[in-house]
Amino acid sequence: MSGAVQDRRRINGPGRSVEPIYTTTPLDASLAKGRSDGRGLDHMRPIYAKAGPIASTAQTTGSASGSAFYEQGSIRISCAVYGPRSGRKTNARRAHFECDFQYAPFACSSRTHTQTDEHEISLFLSNTVGPAIRLDSYPKSSIDAYVTVIESDGKMATLAAAINCISLALADAGIEMYDTVAACSMGLRGSQWVVDCTQMEEAECSMLVAYMPSVDEVTGVLQNGKTSLEMHEQAVQACTNVCVRVYAVICRALQASLE
Amino acid sequence: MTSLILSPSEQDFITRGVEKGFRADGRGSLDRREVTLRTNMISQANGSARCRIGHLGLGTDVLVGIKAEVNTWSPGEPESSGSIVCNVECSPSAAQEFEGRGAEDLNVELTQTLDRMFNGPQSGIDMSKLCIIPKQAYWVLHVDALVLDVKGGIVDALVWATRAALLSTKLPRVVVESVADEDGNLQSEFDVVDDAEDQVAIEGVENLPLSVTFNQIGKRFVIDASEQEEAVTQASLTVAVSPQLEICAVQKGGFLRGFPPSLLSEIMQAARRVARDEFPKFKELYVAAASYQAGDEPSTGSTFLGAF
Repeated sequence: MSGAVQDRRRINGPGRSVEPIYTTTPLDASLAKGRSDGRGLDHMRPIYAKAGPIASTAQTTGSASGSAFYEQGSIRISCAVYGPRSGRKTNARRAHFECDFQYAPFACSSRTHTQTDEHEISLFLSNTVGPAIRLDSYPKSSIDAYVTVIESDGKMATLAAAINCISLALADAGIEMYDTVAACSMGLRGSQWVVDCTQMEEAECSMLVAYMPSVDEVTGVLQNGKTSLEMHEQAVQACTNVCVRVYAVICRALQASLE
Repeated sequence: MTSLILSPSEQDFITRGVEKGFRADGRGSLDRREVTLRTNMISQANGSARCRIGHLGLGTDVLVGIKAEVNTWSPGEPESSGSIVCNVECSPSAAQEFEGRGAEDLNVELTQTLDRMFNGPQSGIDMSKLCIIPKQAYWVLHVDALVLDVKGGIVDALVWATRAALLSTKLPRVVVESVADEDGNLQSEFDVVDDAEDQVAIEGVENLPLSVTFNQIGKRFVIDASEQEEAVTQASLTVAVSPQLEICAVQKGGFLRGFPPSLLSEIMQAARRVARDEFPKFKELYVAAASYQAGDEPSTGSTFLGAF
């Protein structure tokens, strides 16, 4: 986008550069013949999750307390958690939890696309994963989660994957939590909710639900686009069911990291 | 939000009161404070509105100005659609901690909330009508909100004010001509008519949503929380509902806890009920604002500050 805010953290390209416009027609994005990767409408993409790849046995200071790498189809996200440690913003009663979300410059289909909403997503992630952490156990300290999206495929799906990744990293860091947060996203195609939409499948209306199964609490709801109340409730219900399945995968990854 | 320090007994009082259905100012859990609306007070803007929730001196005060500008299309943008850009700024006059970069996080959060509700087809506005010439020029509506005072319920005040401002916005009429250039190709040119009387409203503004923010205090929820109630809130949910009672946007705020799915469902039902009652109330206020005359109140200053 010309005139976009300059991102000072990166070396920007020329002021006006755009993604090339392809002349060949894109793959048929309608779901008439089923999804392009053969999944069912209520199936998530296969998940690979690993806790602790950035472990450092030599150094004890300056290294991440916990880390995780999460893959879901072509979404690849890595997260490092630092904390509890002394921080700038301290609260006498509870820890200060903050997420820092960042796209790698090559993560999205358009390079300039990455800069726009990182700050807003960071705030959303803090609000969604925050309820899971026992903040009262760490007064006057700071817990920071740094999320880097290496590859993104579907905006809502990437957000959901980021939430899962942060949960995994926090657990790996040994931070006391009520439960790990599992999230999943859905897109509305016609009158049907489709689980885990890729960028091709993404529609005008999408929904994200983050859920803690053991405590039975929804920690984050996000809806983009317009839909009726009944459809919304249907989606929340379906999302919570899928979240339980994602939760199982995250737990298994945590168990594997202990072996 | 502004950090109001409450003693543990005050917090307990509010929490238990809400659980029993009592609020400090006597409202019911689904009652909103009194809303005052004024429109079209900023002559430089294409549309403007000021909304105060709560009474004089003790309310959340928001001023929204809409400026329409013509933007040139660049490749990669949608070909025949206009755009709406929202921006919220909290003025230091609202709270001391908003001075300098103190309000940055809050500004980002509120901007994102407004953007989620208004930027796009879910707002009800016909974005294709904001296009002047496809692949060439389109209207950009800059929605700039200035928060003048915060006493709880900021999101709702923002949405009410934005809705009123967009309803009152008048775009200059545009005349599009096709002229043949040297090669015989048809080029489109447009001219913006510079006549204050010859202006059009934006198409689809009647479909704009209103928002209801639910704050969870203890095991119950309330709408339109006052400052004290917000200090005790553990989680909040903002729901935007269109006049056709569809859900346009849902956003959860607050990092202390989540909602059980059953409570979430209850909140969504309540959102629709409350919104259904609020649309006629909004219309009444908007019509009254439109017919508000400067001389009606005793002059204690300019019209702008008069009723507020």
